[in-house]
Amino acid sequence: MATLKPPPASHRSSSSSHTPTGPPKAPLKVDPSATIADTAVFQGTYPVTVGAGTVIHPRARFYAFEGPIFVGDGCIISEKAIIGAAPGTSASTRPSPSSSTGPSPTSSSTDVTLSTPQIQGQGQGQETATRISYFVTIGPHSTVLPGANVHSSATIESLVTINRYADVGAHSKICSGCQVPVNGSVPEWTVVFGSGVGQRRKRARIAREPAPAVMVAAQVAQLPVPPPAPEGKIIEDARLMVLQKEREVLGRMIVPAGAGKKK
Amino acid sequence: MSRPFPYTYISCPCADTPVPDPARKRRSRESPQKPTPERNTETSEDQGETKQPNEKGQDEDEDEEQTFDPRSPRSNFSLYPPEQLLYCEDCHQIKCPRCITEEIVSWYCPNCLFETPSSMVRSDGGRCGRNCFNCPACTAPLAVSTIENVTGNSSGQGPWVLSCSYCLWTTLDIGIKFDKPTNIRSQLQKMTDSTTAPTFDARSRQGSRAFGDLKSPLSNFASIDEQSNAGERDAEQSSSKEDATPTPHLGAEARFAALKNFYRTQISETSNSPNDPLSSEFGFSSPGALNRLMSLYASSSRLSGLYGGNKKPKSKPPVMREALTASEGLRIASEDTDTALIERIPSSDCGWDGVASITQRTEQSPDVRFVDELLPLPVLLRTKRAKRCKSCKHILVKPETKPQSTRFRIRLIALSYIPLPTLRPLAQPSASSISGLGPTPDLNALSPLRPYHVLLTLKNHMFDPVRITLATPSVTPGSVATKVTVLCPQFEIGANSDVWDEALQNATAPLSDRITGMRGGEKVPEAGKVWEKGRNWTTVVLEVVPGTLPGTQAEDGRASDIDIAASLQKDEDVLEIPVFVHMEWDAEAQLEQQNVGKASKPDDLVARELAYWMVLGVGRIQASL
Repeated sequence: MATLKPPPASHRSSSSSHTPTGPPKAPLKVDPSATIADTAVFQGTYPVTVGAGTVIHPRARFYAFEGPIFVGDGCIISEKAIIGAAPGTSASTRPSPSSSTGPSPTSSSTDVTLSTPQIQGQGQGQETATRISYFVTIGPHSTVLPGANVHSSATIESLVTINRYADVGAHSKICSGCQVPVNGSVPEWTVVFGSGVGQRRKRARIAREPAPAVMVAAQVAQLPVPPPAPEGKIIEDARLMVLQKEREVLGRMIVPAGAGKKK
Repeated sequence: MSRPFPYTYISCPCADTPVPDPARKRRSRESPQKPTPERNTETSEDQGETKQPNEKGQDEDEDEEQTFDPRSPRSNFSLYPPEQLLYCEDCHQIKCPRCITEEIVSWYCPNCLFETPSSMVRSDGGRCGRNCFNCPACTAPLAVSTIENVTGNSSGQGPWVLSCSYCLWTTLDIGIKFDKPTNIRSQLQKMTDSTTAPTFDARSRQGSRAFGDLKSPLSNFASIDEQSNAGERDAEQSSSKEDATPTPHLGAEARFAALKNFYRTQISETSNSPNDPLSSEFGFSSPGALNRLMSLYASSSRLSGLYGGNKKPKSKPPVMREALTASEGLRIASEDTDTALIERIPSSDCGWDGVASITQRTEQSPDVRFVDELLPLPVLLRTKRAKRCKSCKHILVKPETKPQSTRFRIRLIALSYIPLPTLRPLAQPSASSISGLGPTPDLNALSPLRPYHVLLTLKNHMFDPVRITLATPSVTPGSVATKVTVLCPQFEIGANSDVWDEALQNATAPLSDRITGMRGGEKVPEAGKVWEKGRNWTTVVLEVVPGTLPGTQAEDGRASDIDIAASLQKDEDVLEIPVFVHMEWDAEAQLEQQNVGKASKPDDLVARELAYWMVLGVGRIQASL
């Protein structure tokens, strides 16, 4: 039960002690404007960094046993979300980053993903950092396993599993119940929907020209082609605006008189 | 087996007695003591027959000529769970989904719950004509949302889009925005419709139709030459048009309309009969078409004598031609189309995710190959249906017309007329009788040749007490001969009276019932006695001795795999007991229907009876002893 507390100055216990008597509290480094519920759990031996304006719901769990966890600014981590892996599961199933177990269809992106934790792994070969970038929403009961990298403005819905060393691109969405395989990579502006690994869909980012049916109709009717629709990006802008509002309200609801209220 | 053991099915009588045969009835009446060797069911209910021979006589002679076999292939079509059956009050018969007709009461959109008038259904294509759309990518419902905040146009009338909250698809993905938040369907129609516009193809279509109409009286005698000439002329005309506007690439609907028009014209032109001026106006399903067909027959050899021997053959039958020009709906695929498709598929901006999936394409126009060509789909309408008896046309089920209401005006379900059968195994008396009840037997593994007791409870939902007679074949049909005995084949079920009556009765009268209920463990099934009885239900005991499977019969020690395979093939090891139920009760002679006119004595009671087969699925017989 780690609440907001002053971040310990780069204190790190030895990572070899995976089974202490009680689960070790992870050293926290929290921006003062973040909102963290009382019942959120931070365990582990590596530091957990939480950025400004981030809201962490009750009973969200952070397990920093395998490497540090970085949560960027303006994120929402919902109830019962699990970032990292509890030590019991980690010891048995930890794959070493060099030997990629999962099939990697796009080798280039996988390599990038794989090399990232190694770079941040501060000397120890076993260390795998988990990164959650800016304005990310992580839904209830979702799991982000160590080594995953979630880029900015991504949405991860409920009951999603982001497996180890997976990479979720910016402005992407992983729909409820889906999962991203080990070493998997979701490009930016992509929606993963369906069930399991799911189908993928690229979101409109720029203005698209009208569908062929519309073009044909306009041509047949000898009318001018309808003016170009606005860019698809504005939908995302609107969503981010709504998200910002949601975060403000959430911050007030979770800690009514908390210190971490902003705006 | 769709249901877990134990289950009960009721057989609808429509399957085996479509038409009662009077001759057969008479024959069987003449010889009432006709020996039926396979039906030794009467052994268990001799007393039942002696008491009321005349009622049993007629019913069983028709329906019960042979024992109902739950394994025969026909039974699949007549067995239904009791909840799914209806009851016709006029025919006094159980009605299954096969012996009713359905008619549509109303059409409504499941999304907005608006009713669509039936005249509009066809023109709307069976889909919601308002704002309800499904996402073409993931089929989730789309929401109409504004993008005015983002575009800065905050006057409350910004452009509108349809957006999917699940997969984040919006109409901006296909470059479409709407000016109004209402009537999206017609806005979209206007954008994509290529048929209604007053353009060259419409004109040419009209032209060709006028041309065809003009020609049709003469075209009875049209020869192939004339036809081909006309075709050429048409082709010339339209080719000149094509020159004016190159590549008149029609949309799918426009092409369909053009083709439809073209073939209609062709049919009317090639119509043989000289005396049908209507044929040009109507399609195949018209008197004109019928005339044409009849004249075809009349010209054939067999009927020609009949109709006065018009031997003179037609000079040449006119020949229908195919569409030749784009204005007639022809589209010639250019060589580049396929290449372009193939080149686009592996390109970086398309890839696997850019190609529309099969499920997406089934809902769309056949030309759609890529996800950025998918159009939002209006929501399919649903129906509320009334159900009628097929034989007497009386309404059995009639729902409220309003889509918002889930109530029914009329709903005659069978369970309010026939007793609901439920089955449960009786705990076996354990060896040590101190503990009372032994464990209930595992119904998925009944050991053969061992007696089981099964409790059959019939619960009456009518307001009259019912007398029930049960009959089963003493040995079940099929290769696994299971012995079945109904220990109490004849009993009565109380009326479905007020619940308070039972409470009051229980308060005054019998503690003994309760005591026996408490001592249920020590109770021993007795022949001729009802096991337990309640306000409107009665439980009787069936004694079942499962037969041996063919494999175990041959040699007990080693059940060879052939036998097992044979037994498992056809669910032979499932123990299903056919039970014939005959119920009779005194009904109140349909007061509301008959006494209105006659005003006869209102309180006379009419004896009613109903007989049907039901099947009790008890369990599965083990292969080994």
